[in-house]
Amino acid sequence: MSEPRIRVLCIDDEARILRALKALFRDMDVHTTVDPTEAIRWASEHDIDVVVCDQRMPKMQGIEVLREIRMNHPRAMRILLTGYADLSAVLGSVNEGEVFRYINKPWDNTDLRQTVQLAARIARDTPVVVDKAVDDISREQARREVGILVIEDNPETQQRMREILQPHYQVRFASSPDRALQVLEQHETGVVISETAGQHGDFTALIKALKQYHPHIATVVVTDRANAQTAIDLINEGQVFRLLLKPVRMGSCRLSVDAAVGRYWQLKQNPQATRRFLVAPRPDALIPTWLAGNLMQRIRLLPSRLLGMARAH
Amino acid sequence: MFEGSWMIVGVVCLVLIGLWQRARQLAARAEARSAELAADLEKMQQTQSQVIHTTKLASLGQMIAGVAHEMNTPIGFVKSNVEVVRELLTEHRQLLSKCLQGFDMMLAADLNNPQMVEPVRRALTKVRAALAGDQRLTDGDDLLKDSVDGLVQIANLVKNLKGFARVDRDGMDALDLNECVESALTIAAHQLRDRVEVVKELAHLPKVNGVASQINQVLLNLITNAAQAMEEGGTLTLVSRRSGDQVEIDVSDTGGGIPDDILPKIFDPFFTTKPVGEGTGLGLSIVHKIVQSHGGSIKVRTAAKKGTTFTISFPIDHALLKQSA
Repeated sequence: MSEPRIRVLCIDDEARILRALKALFRDMDVHTTVDPTEAIRWASEHDIDVVVCDQRMPKMQGIEVLREIRMNHPRAMRILLTGYADLSAVLGSVNEGEVFRYINKPWDNTDLRQTVQLAARIARDTPVVVDKAVDDISREQARREVGILVIEDNPETQQRMREILQPHYQVRFASSPDRALQVLEQHETGVVISETAGQHGDFTALIKALKQYHPHIATVVVTDRANAQTAIDLINEGQVFRLLLKPVRMGSCRLSVDAAVGRYWQLKQNPQATRRFLVAPRPDALIPTWLAGNLMQRIRLLPSRLLGMARAH
Repeated sequence: MFEGSWMIVGVVCLVLIGLWQRARQLAARAEARSAELAADLEKMQQTQSQVIHTTKLASLGQMIAGVAHEMNTPIGFVKSNVEVVRELLTEHRQLLSKCLQGFDMMLAADLNNPQMVEPVRRALTKVRAALAGDQRLTDGDDLLKDSVDGLVQIANLVKNLKGFARVDRDGMDALDLNECVESALTIAAHQLRDRVEVVKELAHLPKVNGVASQINQVLLNLITNAAQAMEEGGTLTLVSRRSGDQVEIDVSDTGGGIPDDILPKIFDPFFTTKPVGEGTGLGLSIVHKIVQSHGGSIKVRTAAKKGTTFTISFPIDHALLKQSA
């Protein structure tokens, strides 16, 4: 018996894009629609594996459609396919849509097909983590066991983070990649909060490397260096959990970190689900020299504190 | 008495000399001051022309970004379709060559020997049925139809971009303002598409004399302003008409309107309601300047919570009218 065909749902306001996708995915069961409301219903009614959705549509934005589908049918993996790279769309696709990949039009056929196949395999084989608030007992336990690492070299932001998070979590600070690794080596860390760059250079390479070897750690990026392309790369290569802009606001920061701790806690109970946040390994050429040698080795050797992680890989 | 009058003359002379020297000093100072002022003025004019140039570049950049984004959709499906059609053709060719193999076997078979013919015949029937039922050529044809469509769309965008910037000419031309409206709308499409409904009421217009790239910039600025006034969505209405000796174009939005205290200042250079760094405050002052230099005029009507209409009008050139007649 061969495996049942992959079920894909494509949403775009341009019928010619939909016909192109249907032809591209001709070995899969494809349903296409220009109607976002129909799409949301269809996804759960037909137990869709993968959703490929456009961002700019007249009735509803893509990230809203994906957010609804995430809530009604969380098993499906979500891909945003868009000709526009505006920052608000990228932020929304992380924070609301929690997309697996953000892909630009025009797309590469081989890449897109492989991404959809990978997403479908993950959707079928991997349990869903349901985002729910950590209950009181678990919260107390999480607070005792799970540390939060803030990678940031601006003293003012450090101070602000301390004020917001210290009362609720064990927070540790690092202003350099080296110090960050020390913290990760010594303490169980469930959430990494990081700038995209500091005086020492680009932190995103570190975030991506960390995600590649330790995908259970939830990353929250807080930045004032907002740039759509950096953000897209952080989704595709870093599966960043939340992306926030500075100045840091108490409310959204607390909400994001609470959700991130919750996500880590869920994955700790259910390590198999970690595969949902898989990133493609980065080619060595893309790893900066400061990270490539010693630091990269230390990232690889970090203790994997989740049982079953070996199987999940 | 005699001596006294000489004294008076002497004093008067001294006073006069003193006054003359003082006047010379003053004149020299005034000269220096006016030279300073002239230098300041020149510097200011330079800065302003620099800023205007920068604004022009910014609107050029905005235009290119807009068109590039508009192209991503058609390029996306055309590129994908062409690749997929190649795959379909390869698959179809494989089927075809199997069929041909069958024919060759049939031709080589000894027709008097049914034991040899029968299996070949069966295989050939199967391959023939597969070939006859193969949808690949039809599907490929549909994909190519879409692709031609997409390429026409891309070609139109490029044509528009060329027409909009008019890099090839910079002088006065006989312009159809409706074409300028269409061209500016295409360029602004990405700012409008998902939230603003566009209504066009374009009358047949006599041509007017103008610099196309400048008129296009005027229309793009007005459309962009209208789009920004309707962040939550609304209707953009473009009306063109002939009114006596003038050609008029209305650009109307259904936004919040312009507050009374701001209205008198909207055409002032460097006046902006946007945060520092987001607007130069030159959009409408450039619009004003360009319209004036074309011998035209600009009017604005606004009502709170109902919207704003900018009307630009240009004189009809009667010489042009006769030419076309």
